[in-house]
Amino acid sequence: MNLPASIEVAALPVERAREATPRRARISTSKRLLIALLAVILFVVISPVVVVMLGSFLNTSFLGLSSEQWVGDGSDANSLITFQWFSYVLKLYQPQLLFSFQLAVLSVVVCILIGVPAGYLIARGDFPGRRWLEELLLLPLALPGIAISIALIQAYAIIRGRWYFVLFGHLIYTLPFMARCVAGTLRSFDCAELERAAQSLGAGPWQRFFFVVLPSLRHAITLGALLVFAVSFGEFNVSFLLMTPLTATFPSALYATYTFNSFQVSSAATVVFLAVILPVLALIQWLGGDELSKVEQGA
Amino acid sequence: MLKRFAAISSGPLLLGVLVVLLVWPLICLVHGSLHEGNGGGGWTLDHYTSIFTTRSSRVALFHSIWISLGVAAAAVLICLGPAWLFVRHDFPGKRLARAVLTLPMSFSGILIGFLCVIMLGRIGVVPRLMEWLTGTDYFSGAAYQLGGILIAYFYFEIPRATLSLESALRKLDPRLELAACSLGAGAWQRFTLVVLPQLWPALLATFALTFCVSLGSFGVVLIVAKRFSLLPLEVFEQIFAFNRYPLAAAMSVVLLVIALCASLTARWASNHLTHVR
Amino acid sequence: MKIPKSFVALVLACAALTPAVAQDKVVVQYDCIPNYANWGGVTSQYLKETGVRVPPDMKGSSATMAALEQEKANPQADCAYYSAAIGFQAATKGLHAPYKPKGWETIPAELRDPDGLWWTVHSAHIAIIVNVPALKGKPVPKSFADLLKPEYKGLIAYDDPTIHGTSFTFVYGINQVLGGGPDMGKGFDYLKALDANILNYPRENSYNDVLRGEIPIWINADGNGLKMKWTDKAPVEVIIPSEGTVVAPLVMAFVKGAPHADEAKKYLDWCLGESAQKTMAESFFRPIMNVNLGELGPKFPPASAYRKAVAPPLNEMAAQADAVKARWVKEVKGNR
Repeated sequence: MNLPASIEVAALPVERAREATPRRARISTSKRLLIALLAVILFVVISPVVVVMLGSFLNTSFLGLSSEQWVGDGSDANSLITFQWFSYVLKLYQPQLLFSFQLAVLSVVVCILIGVPAGYLIARGDFPGRRWLEELLLLPLALPGIAISIALIQAYAIIRGRWYFVLFGHLIYTLPFMARCVAGTLRSFDCAELERAAQSLGAGPWQRFFFVVLPSLRHAITLGALLVFAVSFGEFNVSFLLMTPLTATFPSALYATYTFNSFQVSSAATVVFLAVILPVLALIQWLGGDELSKVEQGA
Repeated sequence: MLKRFAAISSGPLLLGVLVVLLVWPLICLVHGSLHEGNGGGGWTLDHYTSIFTTRSSRVALFHSIWISLGVAAAAVLICLGPAWLFVRHDFPGKRLARAVLTLPMSFSGILIGFLCVIMLGRIGVVPRLMEWLTGTDYFSGAAYQLGGILIAYFYFEIPRATLSLESALRKLDPRLELAACSLGAGAWQRFTLVVLPQLWPALLATFALTFCVSLGSFGVVLIVAKRFSLLPLEVFEQIFAFNRYPLAAAMSVVLLVIALCASLTARWASNHLTHVR
Repeated sequence: MKIPKSFVALVLACAALTPAVAQDKVVVQYDCIPNYANWGGVTSQYLKETGVRVPPDMKGSSATMAALEQEKANPQADCAYYSAAIGFQAATKGLHAPYKPKGWETIPAELRDPDGLWWTVHSAHIAIIVNVPALKGKPVPKSFADLLKPEYKGLIAYDDPTIHGTSFTFVYGINQVLGGGPDMGKGFDYLKALDANILNYPRENSYNDVLRGEIPIWINADGNGLKMKWTDKAPVEVIIPSEGTVVAPLVMAFVKGAPHADEAKKYLDWCLGESAQKTMAESFFRPIMNVNLGELGPKFPPASAYRKAVAPPLNEMAAQADAVKARWVKEVKGNR
């Protein structure tokens, strides 16, 4: 897989033989255009996030973004900066924040317990219907969340209001991520060879799975776990329909602030959400890098 | 032997989990959509016909489909640029740029809807800036118009499309391009004659993926759609405001079928194209 | 041995994290929007006084009724809060159990069910809430008739009445305010004419949008506008239309099959008590019990402003609710 890092470099000798300078100039023009496009997209992605971050502690009525005034204790009525909205959000929505966190951790745990063997199965399994099982496992990624939640409500009305009902919904959407991470890694190196080597040294099936296969999957599982956490923590579509007030998730609290609170409170809630999710995303990038694209690719 | 062992023990187990989580609920959904009352009554197709005979839901379905199509096309076309850059070029800050681009991946639709209103609402950042610069608040309220919805959905699809295309580009064999180059093909020729034919299946798959995700997302419209109604929102309203479960189920089945058709068509087409090649 | 150990750690983490949320003492109230009628303040006051948590819930009146119907076999809620007509309607569907909280006798007879299936906790009036700077110099409308002027095109919103009870009260009551007969013709003519100026019929509540100025004119309960004005210090004016207005009582009810019945009864008693009623008044919904409002009093509009208020009989409103909603969808929203 280690082909020349960049096509320009590889192509250079050929080009030099021809009209070297103009060709190289043309390539860098296209590159420059692409970088400009990238810069525009990056700006579109990042600017609203920056505005929200500023809005969470700056008095935005000064900026003209909101017509309400500071409604603090009166002492900071005219100051530019305050952090009171964070304490408001954390106080009011602490149970939801905690529940979302628990839900995400539980999703990770269950996905490791079920998703890792599942990934192993769809990558290395050898039995009739393996393709079908894989299709079924990855199917939810293409299905509308609202349809899945309505189906779940219809099928399991009896456990409505239990916390694990919401977990069910999250698992449908997180299992494929874990399975794909594991399967992707297993397909990218010769696992069978390793297992045969271990077998020749007298390792039984469990020993091989725990001491040969799993260690080589450590990276994939970590990446999968982080992805599962991020997906579960940010999930809104499914949990919003499945939850009751006692099993409300933090994204639903975000929704509550967006519709019913001031711009500052909404921004503060968003920043609380970002504070949890950004480190996870950063870690995913740091660990995942190029592999991430394999995981994300559509079924 | 381990393979056999694993297959025998965990194959049925996994299948069981999937049946419980996915297959059985979907069967219940279809069953519910074909019956008259909430959880009872005789068989009927009325709920399906009423989707197409009621103006509001028909319009919502129509909007859902073509907005999703438009967004998917835009996402594939525009995100090909960054994906190409990430795979084929090196530049300072590449990792950071890639990290920022994948940021919206775990943003739920409502968050993106909120960001869209902040930027493009009636008193959003962009119109304020425009007013300050030019004296007229251009783009005021754009968030609630078609353009705003398209932008919000596009935002939603950026990481998905980019990562998916990136993966496909990574699999391309650069030696083919080298060969073409040595035969005197220019950059544009190389792209259209060598890269693009290899890339078709991936473009289709990405298109289908982004189409399906847009089709099913309702968080964005929940916040942004003021003039438009999309089918997921209709489903939400039928079940939340009117408690008309069977109709909501029928609409969901329609969404499911469209999504399935889209991904199957993309799969079929990409297999077909690969064989031809 | 590394991997099995981390598995053990994971399983332990799983056990430790098993959501403990359900173990607190709780009462579930449907339609408990923190920033509406100060439910956020009311519930945190209750938590402070008793240690019982009442989690927020974002359903509107009709969504509450729909949810209770869906969950009839397996109720999740203990009590519910509605616009009166929808609460009345839910009671006729058999979703409530009778309960007469402490102080129930003092509520005027027309504002409570004789069997205790629902009772009023506070009331509001339909008003025109105007974010003045968002009008950008256009005059502040003073009446329902003013709202039809073309200069307000795209500036007005009222919530979707099929979801929100307050808005339903407006859609139903406007007919009587304008002097229409039982066929509701005058009311619907007005709503159809108003449609030309409407920005949208939000499914979600628009408090935030009005506060920010996204929606310049909002037809909703006066309490919400007064809260923007006094509590959020927004440049908002609350106009009681010169033609008159509609009284919008808001009721609570005890849900049939409530999972936390005993706690719920204590909570419902408390909601009619002095501390709860006062806390509700902080968001300018008029408490039903006679409590001393103190310095809040002068911030309410004077009683004379509501001279021409109409109060449609709740039984008629409830009986016609479905028909009026359907007609609104067909004649007003359906033509957009």
